Amino acid sequence: METTKGRGRFIFFCLTPAVILFIIFLIIPTIDVFRMSMYKWGGYTDDKTFVGFQNFTKLFHSDKFYQTFQNSVLLIVIVTIVTFAFSLLFASVLTREKLKGQNLFRIIFYIPNILSIVVISAIFSAIYDPNSGLLNSFTNLFRSATETPTLWLGDQKIVIFSLAGAMIWQAIGYYMVMYMASMANIPDSLYESADLEGASRTTQFFSITIPLIWVNIRTTLTFFIISTINMSFLFVMAMTSGGPDGATEVFLSYMYKEAYTNSSYGYGMAIGVVVFLFSFALAAILNAVTKRDNLEY
Amino acid sequence: MRKIINLALAATMTLGLTACSSNSSTPASTDSSSTTTTTPTAETRTLKFAALETAYGADVWKEIGAAFEKATPNVKVEMTIDKNIEDVIGPTMKSGDFPDVIHLAVGQKKGLTETFIKDNNLTDLTDVLSMKIPGESVTVKDKLIPGFTDTTITNPYSDGKTYLMPMFYSPCGLFYNAGLFEQKGWKVPTTWDEMWALGDKAKAEGISLFSYPTTGYFDAFFYALLNEVGGPEFFTKAMNYSEGVWQTPEATQAFDLITKLASYTEKTVPANANKDNFQKNQQLILDNKALFMPNGTWVVGEMAKAPRADGFKWGFTSLPAVKEGGDRYSYTFFEQMWVPAKAQNADLAKQFISFLYSDEAAAIFAKVGAIQPIKGMSEKLDGDNKLFYSIYDNGAKASMGAFATTDSVEGVNISDTTFGTVDSLVTGAKTEQQWIDAITKASDALRGALKK
Repeated sequence: METTKGRGRFIFFCLTPAVILFIIFLIIPTIDVFRMSMYKWGGYTDDKTFVGFQNFTKLFHSDKFYQTFQNSVLLIVIVTIVTFAFSLLFASVLTREKLKGQNLFRIIFYIPNILSIVVISAIFSAIYDPNSGLLNSFTNLFRSATETPTLWLGDQKIVIFSLAGAMIWQAIGYYMVMYMASMANIPDSLYESADLEGASRTTQFFSITIPLIWVNIRTTLTFFIISTINMSFLFVMAMTSGGPDGATEVFLSYMYKEAYTNSSYGYGMAIGVVVFLFSFALAAILNAVTKRDNLEY
Repeated sequence: MRKIINLALAATMTLGLTACSSNSSTPASTDSSSTTTTTPTAETRTLKFAALETAYGADVWKEIGAAFEKATPNVKVEMTIDKNIEDVIGPTMKSGDFPDVIHLAVGQKKGLTETFIKDNNLTDLTDVLSMKIPGESVTVKDKLIPGFTDTTITNPYSDGKTYLMPMFYSPCGLFYNAGLFEQKGWKVPTTWDEMWALGDKAKAEGISLFSYPTTGYFDAFFYALLNEVGGPEFFTKAMNYSEGVWQTPEATQAFDLITKLASYTEKTVPANANKDNFQKNQQLILDNKALFMPNGTWVVGEMAKAPRADGFKWGFTSLPAVKEGGDRYSYTFFEQMWVPAKAQNADLAKQFISFLYSDEAAAIFAKVGAIQPIKGMSEKLDGDNKLFYSIYDNGAKASMGAFATTDSVEGVNISDTTFGTVDSLVTGAKTEQQWIDAITKASDALRGALKK
């Protein structure tokens, strides 16, 4: 009796610091965002007025917000699908095939992830440059130079895809390494017996590799949502400033603009709340539809 | 202005931890200043001064602080000068501790000054105008160039009271390569008709008529243009979101001119019209690929190290007139200094501001190229600056002010709507009518929120 009580107290004291930190740095700020979204507040001084759900009603009547919503969702979809496909492919090639310099490739693929977003943006701004950029110099080989060059960052219809290109390039290495880690755990014997049965590489990939790293894939899908929302803000800030004319405005850049530049901090927090709920819901939906029985090996 | 924004943003990216370090001195000083306000004896008082570090540097403020301390006994100036000044003073202000004087212009990305204006959180500085400048026999008003304290920026509540004091100014207009014009024997256009004629001539030689760094630069351009098409009265009406003002013939003329100008703009400009690449758009002028760009005098320093065409020489002109003999305008950009309503040493702050207009302070500022709107200042300049600041002596009228301050209206940003759309006009993504409709809608939304 004495010992269980003592142990309980011990566990309690061990957990307290972590729980307190968790509450102070995670729970309270989150609740605070929800609270702030109910105020009309400039953000710098201590004058605020409670306005209830007014910020939200305004938000749902704003065309601008729907535009940023569209842009963000488009980015989430494109970046997730393309990055997912490429990193799976590269990961499986690098783990399953006998390539020379595998480690070198692994490092090369991972490097974009180490670079700061500002550096990547500078690289891609140079690539997308209308006159001297890599991309246009290449396309100029196939057409006359007198034509108007493609404006990768200047054409409203293209610019969001240019942004996605940079984001995909940056993300592939990270997810590739994650998939490689779980692929390396799959026992070779499975592939050997599949070989003996005459299964092709593609069949092996879809019937052995994918099902066995499914848990990992589900986790990364949630990562994709969160990181695309966050990363797109950084890329937009560094590359296009939301332009041309708002064509690349995403959730967080719009939130920043409203909260600071437009002196509507409360409204900005309302956007924050919507983004929070949206990403939570999306992650939950993805998690539910990708639920499979756990395979053991 | 752009330079300031860029500096500030560049600094934001490096995520300076300076915010924490420079803050450490503030809590200690709170105590001392609160005790001194209650006992205004011969004790030393501390004036808390915060400023954005701009291209002029931080040292000039330290020099000013030392000079003020020397001129006023028993006063200590505590300076916070930072490229991220909003982040440095923001947290302490939220808890109710404000600097006494803040030097930070409107138009910054973080909009701190606008927030204070919108929240009615400024101290009335009208009496500073009638204050004697320390050590001199004239008042501040006597020294200031007339007009600077009658703008919608300095008097945001249109009640005739000045809340923000004008500090450093810079004329804005069109910059071009004067060398190229000499070589080609072209005349700098004085009317828009001549402008289009020149545009066609230049096009034949593969040179575009127009470039702009980012659409944000259209503010000065648009304000000056509104003055040209309709005069100052029309401008004021437009800036106060008067009903139907955007449907008047004057406004239509201005919109038509900008739309036409968009068709004469170098096609790659929108792709580089962001804060990362805007210098490429400025480079078009240096490379003789475009003739004119709207800008401010800071561009000379900004592009000082950029490569340029042979015989390049900066030229600067006000906007062409809408008709022969019509008025020509050049917008005057200026920075502002203000006192938060909750500053504890407002009286000392006012004294400090009046000191800034003294000959002694002006000389210190002028050393780093910071020119205040003080009478006779422009005559003391030399080099490029002489050319720029003499624009008003050469027949151009000055226009000042900006869209009137309103209570914050969520989701409505008139500057973005008005100027940002120029990109879309150049690429053809939006029509002139869509643009006008959007401006009208934003203007209608803001009218009700105007400060009264």
